[in-house]
Amino acid sequence: MFKFIHASDLHLGKPFGRFPEDVRVRLRQARAESVPRLAALAQETGASHILLAGDTFDQTTPAPMVIRQAMNAMRAAEHVSWVVMPGNHDHANATELWRQVLRDAPANVTVLLEPEPHVLTPEAVLLPAPPGERHPGRDLTDWFDSAATGEALRIGLAHGSVTDFDSSEEGGSSIIAVDRARRAGLAYLALGDWHGQMQIGPQTWYSGAPEADGFKHTQTPAALLVEIAGPGAAAQVTSRPMGSLAWQRVLLDLGEGDDPLAAHEAALPALARRGVTLLDMQVSGRLHALDRVALEDASRQVAPDFLWHDADFSDLATLRDATDLEAIDHQGALRAAAEALAREAADPHLPTDARETAQAALSHLFSYALEGRE
Amino acid sequence: MRLRALHLTNVRKFTGRRASINGIGSGITVVSEANEFGKSTFFDAIHALFFEKYGSTARPVKSLQPYAGGGVEVAAEVETEAGAFLVEKRFMTRKMARVLRLPDRTILAQDDEAERWIAGLLGPAGEGPAGLLWVRQGLLGLEPAGVREKAQLTETRRDLLSSVAGEIDAMTGGRRMDRVMRRCSDDLAEITTKTGRKSGVWKAAADEVEALEAELGALQAQLATLEGALAQRKVDEALLQRLDHPEARARRDEALRAAQAALETARAHAGLVTAARQDRDIADLQARGARQKLDDCLAAIAALATATAMEQAAKARAAEAESAAAVLKQRLDAARHDHDTARESLARARAALDTARHQADARKARDLAAQLAARITKAEAAQADRAAAAARVKASPASADWLARVEASASAVDRLEAALLAQTATLQVVYSGALRISLNGIPVAEGQPVPLDGDSVVDLPGIGQMTLRSQPKAAKGIDDLAKAKDLRDGLLAKAGAATVEAARRLAADRAEAVRQEGLSQALLETLAPDGLAALQAAWAEAALAAADAPDTDPPALADLLAAQAAADLAEDRASKALRALEADHGAAREEAVKARAAADTAAQAVTRAAAAAGPAETRDTRQADLLRDEAQARALLAKAEADLARIAADAPDLTTTEAELKRAEDAARAAAQQRAAVAERLAALSAQIRTLAGNGIEERCDDIRGQLDTARATEARLARKAAALTRLLAALEGERKASQETYFGPVQQELKPLLSILHRDAALTFDSESLLPAGLTRGQAEETLEDLSGGTREQIAILTRLAFARLFARHGRHMPIVLDDALVYSDDDRIIKMFTALTRVAQDQQILVFSCRQLAFQDLGGARPAVEISEV
Repeated sequence: MFKFIHASDLHLGKPFGRFPEDVRVRLRQARAESVPRLAALAQETGASHILLAGDTFDQTTPAPMVIRQAMNAMRAAEHVSWVVMPGNHDHANATELWRQVLRDAPANVTVLLEPEPHVLTPEAVLLPAPPGERHPGRDLTDWFDSAATGEALRIGLAHGSVTDFDSSEEGGSSIIAVDRARRAGLAYLALGDWHGQMQIGPQTWYSGAPEADGFKHTQTPAALLVEIAGPGAAAQVTSRPMGSLAWQRVLLDLGEGDDPLAAHEAALPALARRGVTLLDMQVSGRLHALDRVALEDASRQVAPDFLWHDADFSDLATLRDATDLEAIDHQGALRAAAEALAREAADPHLPTDARETAQAALSHLFSYALEGRE
Repeated sequence: MRLRALHLTNVRKFTGRRASINGIGSGITVVSEANEFGKSTFFDAIHALFFEKYGSTARPVKSLQPYAGGGVEVAAEVETEAGAFLVEKRFMTRKMARVLRLPDRTILAQDDEAERWIAGLLGPAGEGPAGLLWVRQGLLGLEPAGVREKAQLTETRRDLLSSVAGEIDAMTGGRRMDRVMRRCSDDLAEITTKTGRKSGVWKAAADEVEALEAELGALQAQLATLEGALAQRKVDEALLQRLDHPEARARRDEALRAAQAALETARAHAGLVTAARQDRDIADLQARGARQKLDDCLAAIAALATATAMEQAAKARAAEAESAAAVLKQRLDAARHDHDTARESLARARAALDTARHQADARKARDLAAQLAARITKAEAAQADRAAAAARVKASPASADWLARVEASASAVDRLEAALLAQTATLQVVYSGALRISLNGIPVAEGQPVPLDGDSVVDLPGIGQMTLRSQPKAAKGIDDLAKAKDLRDGLLAKAGAATVEAARRLAADRAEAVRQEGLSQALLETLAPDGLAALQAAWAEAALAAADAPDTDPPALADLLAAQAAADLAEDRASKALRALEADHGAAREEAVKARAAADTAAQAVTRAAAAAGPAETRDTRQADLLRDEAQARALLAKAEADLARIAADAPDLTTTEAELKRAEDAARAAAQQRAAVAERLAALSAQIRTLAGNGIEERCDDIRGQLDTARATEARLARKAAALTRLLAALEGERKASQETYFGPVQQELKPLLSILHRDAALTFDSESLLPAGLTRGQAEETLEDLSGGTREQIAILTRLAFARLFARHGRHMPIVLDDALVYSDDDRIIKMFTALTRVAQDQQILVFSCRQLAFQDLGGARPAVEISEV
């Protein structure tokens, strides 16, 4: 039985510059902690190896601290052997990075910079396909088919997207043959690059990133425990949750007659999870102005619960009728101003900018006018 | 409400008296009295009655109290739709307020109840509405100065306009509108300045974008540097790998070794070529030697024959030349004799001529010496005369200046004596007989005036003595005279003269001596211009030259000159002939010497040629031997040259071989240098990469890029917010303004006909805050109230009140308009028009006018009640 952990796309050192400083620190810390969590998973499951299928580092020249701390964390997990292969973010030609990694790497870390067989155990040989540049432009796993490995188990390790599935995180062209595992007689092909976990074939998996870094993927960040009984045996793959922070994108589509506040509350995660959740709420549909003001207010109210919170109401159309405008005033200048802005916002002859400005002005007017009602 | 009568008791100047105005009409009532009559007292008292509490001690109340003090009572009979009433208040002492029904004077309310009754009379805004309708003296503005009063009146106007045109809140949004606009303005002010520029968080976001862009630019530059360094290192490492590759190194070493071996081989072959060339050179030398010997032998034989022939010819030419030289020698000797003779003749002629010339010069010198001796004699005499005259001049002090001073002093003595004499009594006697009288013992001459000085005794012979008394002379005159005489006598004594005449003589003598000295000097300069010594030296020289002067006449110089010329000519001819022969003889002798030398040389050549040719008996044998030797040497040379050509043909090109070695060495050296340079560059690049990578530039770049995205999004969001708030504020202001225009419509409607009486096509614009006119529009021109003249502002102030009063009346609240000398700035023409406006309004509006301008206000018409004064 050969048992190993398949993980990828740790993206250590990713800066997350678009977030506030305190959030950035949490995000970077979570990524750094994914190394000991993987080690803990290996210890828990009895896996002898952890295969990292690329993009362990986010840049080709990460700060020395990032490398050293990663190596230190791997060194601390002496019960497991780490196999680190470059990805497109930390490709093999990132000489300074790998030079430092090789300098700092402990004995239980193996760095695979060349496409040549690597003996994991006397029974298992690893065939790596390290990218030499950001966009290799060819299938680096071609050589797997003809690689001589004797009777040992053949395990492939690659980074990129497969040919019939645009799985590149950066939308690049698809490269890896989807049936590479079959063609090369692999017991398992461990893929990296796609941050969400996904099975491509019977023996081909994307492990996904152990810590999410965006709202793109809905799956829980995880790693894969792979168990292969022996030659000819099918790989047993088990997904193990890993992420410490939740990236949650909530799509709130509202219609006339919906209770926006109830829908909003229902869409939110439990209070206990909010502190480790980055929430990106995208509201769409149609609401009456008063409901919209109430929803925006509710959104502002819950925002401090979250590690990070953003709500986008730009796709939410505002319905207006006499009742809505009544909320502003029954008559007089205030009402007249509201009506003028409403007409302007709905005027198809006006440029989009002007209509949006008028809509935003009307929203403000609703907010101000309704403040006095409380 | 309409006022019907006013009663003031113990108010200001009406101390202890009661002043009443009765019979106030429903339209215009004019109370026209002179200044200081108390019209403003009525005005203030009415104001206090309606607007001050009876218990008040405020300034407006206190100001009503007379100097004598006491309670102040103000009462007004008013008429409302409910009937007639008397409203009265007592201020300051025994304060009270009452409302009584008229005519029965039933008390309806007292004190606070009375105040409430009055407040109800004035309207729900308390003291407001009437306050609009009061115009004090010289009022130009539309609002009072006090903040509280201003706010109250504004509220009153708002109430009035709201009740007439609709609720103001309903029209303008009221306080909700204010709050919304304030919130909008506050939110906008947080992100923009008043002029719409970015401020607060918007500006901070923009600044952050700018700062992040700058930081990103710097980081990207560093990143580019890092990437460049990485790329260069990659290239250099590949290059170093190539340089260090064992095959490349072995290839370079093998090339070097091969080049060195080739060079050694080439150098060895070059040694063979050099040896062959040396053999060829030796053979060549030997062949040349043999040939030379043969040639020398043949040449010696030929040279001997030639030398023998030349010797014979030279000897013949030498004998011929020596003979010619001997002939010329004889002719030369004869010419020398002739020349010597001619030279001697010439010398004699020249000597005779020189002697004759010397004698002539001596004779001239003798004559000159005689002349000079005579001049010396004269000059010496002139010199002696000049010395004598100079001595006389030097000895005499009687210069012209001295004489002038003497004459001046004598003149002064005469003048002083004359003056003294003029002051002195004199005695002058004319004798008729022989008796003579004496004065102080001195006989007195006839006809001569004798001065008298003091007491003088005259002896009158035969008669006795007569004493003449006269005033003594002035002492000063005597002293001056004595001083003048001393001066004169002193000057005279200086030259030894006794009198002035003598002085003049002495001066004349001295002047003559001066003249003599000058004459002698001039003569001496003429005779001896260079001095006497020079003249004497010239004489001595002439006398020496004249020593050889013959006594007899010398021979004629012309003859001697002719003789010398002839001798000179003869000598010249002889000399030329001699020189010609000397030249010829020299040339002949030289030719002879040369010929002899040539003959000697030819003889020596014969000797040498004979020696070179050797003994005549062995010459043929020797010639044959030399011919054989020469042929053998040529054969050896040909063989050496063939050997050299063969060896040289097989020799490698040493230069090429050396170049190949040099190239191989250069390549090896260049490879080593390149390796060192690449290694050095790699070290530098690695250091640079470590520094840049160590700073995490790529990570920071991504970080800043993310921050920049967020900052740009924030800036864009704030820009949208600013645009939205600006648009909202504009919409709110626009709508409120439009509402306010509707709101002011009723006032404008009332005001327009009144305004047109004074200003055709004029309209007032209203301020939305104060609800009062803010400007006047005439034609296209719009002016603020502050820009208008005092008269126009005064008129607008009154017309505005009239318009508001009409609005009150239209609303069922008739309130009197009270004007206190309100038209002080208006000219007569405008006053008449204002009267028209007042009259127009007075058709359904009570107007009470106080004025001191009795004449001017006659045209206003209306009721004119008198002020009745009575003692209390």
